[in-house]
Amino acid sequence: MSLAKFLVRRSLQGLFVIWGVVTAVFMLRFVTPGSPVDFVAPLDASPELRARIAAELGLDQPMYIQYLDYLWGLLQLDMGYSYISSTPAAARVFARLPATIELAVAATVVAIVFSIPLGVISATNRHEPADYAATGFSLVGISTPNFWLGIMLVLLVSVQLGWFPTGRRAIGFWPAVQLIWQEGTLAGIVVWLRYITLPAITLGTYFTALITRLTRSGMLDELGKEYVRAARAKGLPETLVRYKHALRNTLIPIITILGLQLGTLIGGAVITEAVFTWPGLGTLVIDAINSRDWPIIQGSLIVIGAGFVIVNTIVDGLYAYINPQVVYE
Amino acid sequence: MPTNSNDEIGRRGYLKFAGAAAASVGLAGCAGDGADIDTPTETEMGGGGEDTETETEDTSDEPFEATVTQGQMATTLDPHNHRETSTDNVLLQAYDRVLFRDAEGRIVERLATDWERVEDGHVRYTLREGVTFHNGDELTPEDVAYSIRRVVDPETGLESPQRDQLAGIVDAEADDEEHAVHVYSDGLNPMAFSLQASYCLILQQSWAEEREQGDIAQEINGTGPYRMVDYEEDVSVEFEKYEDWWGEEPDVDAVTFQAAEESSARVSELQAGETDLIVNVPPQDAPTIQDGDAGSIEAVPSTRVLFLVHNQAKAPFDNSAFRQALNYAIDLDSIIDNVLDGFGDPTGQPTLSGYVGHTDDVDPYPTDAAEAEALIEESGYAGEEITLHTPVGRYLGDVNVAQAAAGYIDDLSNVSCSVEQRDFGSLASEILDGSRDTSPAFFLIGWGNTTFDASQTILPWLTSGGSINHWDQSDVDEWMEDAGNESDEDARAELMADSNRTISEEAAWTFLHRQYSVYGISNRIEWTAREDEQISVEEFTRA
Repeated sequence: MSLAKFLVRRSLQGLFVIWGVVTAVFMLRFVTPGSPVDFVAPLDASPELRARIAAELGLDQPMYIQYLDYLWGLLQLDMGYSYISSTPAAARVFARLPATIELAVAATVVAIVFSIPLGVISATNRHEPADYAATGFSLVGISTPNFWLGIMLVLLVSVQLGWFPTGRRAIGFWPAVQLIWQEGTLAGIVVWLRYITLPAITLGTYFTALITRLTRSGMLDELGKEYVRAARAKGLPETLVRYKHALRNTLIPIITILGLQLGTLIGGAVITEAVFTWPGLGTLVIDAINSRDWPIIQGSLIVIGAGFVIVNTIVDGLYAYINPQVVYE
Repeated sequence: MPTNSNDEIGRRGYLKFAGAAAASVGLAGCAGDGADIDTPTETEMGGGGEDTETETEDTSDEPFEATVTQGQMATTLDPHNHRETSTDNVLLQAYDRVLFRDAEGRIVERLATDWERVEDGHVRYTLREGVTFHNGDELTPEDVAYSIRRVVDPETGLESPQRDQLAGIVDAEADDEEHAVHVYSDGLNPMAFSLQASYCLILQQSWAEEREQGDIAQEINGTGPYRMVDYEEDVSVEFEKYEDWWGEEPDVDAVTFQAAEESSARVSELQAGETDLIVNVPPQDAPTIQDGDAGSIEAVPSTRVLFLVHNQAKAPFDNSAFRQALNYAIDLDSIIDNVLDGFGDPTGQPTLSGYVGHTDDVDPYPTDAAEAEALIEESGYAGEEITLHTPVGRYLGDVNVAQAAAGYIDDLSNVSCSVEQRDFGSLASEILDGSRDTSPAFFLIGWGNTTFDASQTILPWLTSGGSINHWDQSDVDEWMEDAGNESDEDARAELMADSNRTISEEAAWTFLHRQYSVYGISNRIEWTAREDEQISVEEFTRA
């Protein structure tokens, strides 16, 4: 099967997964205690007023009608209107998406940039100080809770040293890049980097540690195999043996984990977003859950689910590039 | 509890420290590398005020820009379609009310220069001349009448959640000749002026009618001191001074409202000089701010009271001796000192000090465990096991306060008490469904009343007709009904004071405390916090 056919098939499967997410998220509303009306109506609202508000929000319709309406709306990219702000849910969700993607990608970049060299160094210097240092770092990184690391970085690097802002997102990546073209200035990118550095380090530390360990163990495994011995016997330079042969074969499980983690990061950076007041999807979902703003909850979870499916489809596609032995069936 | 006086400040300590706070600092400590953002796209980048400022020693000629960080961002820009103080605080910069309150809660003029009661249920506001909206159009009596109707009358197209805030008001009519507005109520409505001073922002009728509801939620056109220049939903609202505002020119030239849900993030922003005012400083962080260089603490009693509701429909809370026992069991002063670091005042009645209807005759219940145990024996409910339901994270220290209160009750020899932590949504749905039977028997809740009038607490909670009533008594019903029809202010206040006495004697609630609003303020501004939790930037001055 060609890659294109494989991707088409995976995309169709992905659509079913997303439909499942839509249905599950929609049903959640009916099993969760507390009505959205409680958050919209005055605390001392009369039953009549509460009934009117429920009717206005469409909550008085039978469940299947609400479900079909919602599906029909989704097909037109209409996720309904926020119960709280009366603004279109899709606009609010998609407005948060760039910040979330930026942070997830930046954290992944941090993880890749630091973890793979560390893992390789660790594996090729087994039982030496460099190995102990890398292993120690990965142990600390995996054990450190996100919220603690984030708060410590803010207190130390931002409040005490004043090197970085304590949080927020002053400019998006794309507007910053546009500034380079339009104004010929790197000011936007510099500001973007200043604001994203600490959140990316906070979010990326765990994955850096995790992938360092994976790289180390994968490299150790590969370096002990016959083909490596043969390559060395052939007289290939050690760097070529390590990086072209052993590391490349180690990358498949690493890419799988990175893909899964990137998908997770799209919706799972809630704590980091809260610590750094990063305006991403995670905090939007939490706020929406706290106020039972179901159009926002549903919209966000669907986008997160779709993001997860897309990232993993791309990762599956990458396998063939990394390892031509992979056959799509 | 910390014993080192340097580590603990609390409300009382704060008063001592406040006078010694540094008067001002240069901007050096709060400015970033300003050059990195000195580009034409400066405003696009928003947030992080430190990037947009230039270091200078003499700030007096520099634009005075302030940043306010609340716990939550405005959920909408529609002034009549929300219930949150945080949203109100944003909109207050751009919209005016007919009347207003000063920092002490007294009613003062705003868009109306004169107000009078024409007859029972009919009041008239004479409007200020020469007031313009931010789009340049002049304010008309029709705009004011429409704004009031938009809150009370669903026929205008909005089912406003603020309808009860203008309780009793049924209609408003413009009087172009007199440049006045006539407001009509169902019955006398002695609260009419008070309600108008606390609620209902005024927008332009034609502007609102030309727009969909979703558009009104994202745009602003008011008559207030600041006009909106940028809005990023959920992130920030930026205002600049409205040059044609009718009032005295404010000191602050531009202000940004933003939010950080995490209190630690708000505190860090203040410490790093990135914001000028933060709300809801946790008591444990107050000494850090007060002892640091970046700012100081400003604390003020708020209009919110916390209490434990006794559901009269469920035993043992149908018994007044049992209810009184719970009040005797709790050491309120200790809870305030140890859980809230002093940021609270004990209460013994539902009406706060300074409110119309408050009585000085009633003190908080003293702590007396022996008396509590005796009352429980007398009630016939000895050996009872009760559960206190509490929302989590809804009010300052709510869970800790509930656990402390339950602990005192549980310490009694003849009753046991446990705490059940609840999501506010599910707890609220049980409380609000109109039936006492589905409500928990015993729960913690907070109630804000910015009208400075007893009726707005007693009527909904403690009279038989109240929509969230869990306790009532015939005398209180009668007195409150009479108060609603009493035009003499002193007589009305006395009727409500009688109600407060009975409510206290009968221990309708386990009375807890009046919550404090605790703000962190940068050294760049001076501001006196208001009791009504409102943040009016026009009151900021340069330090």
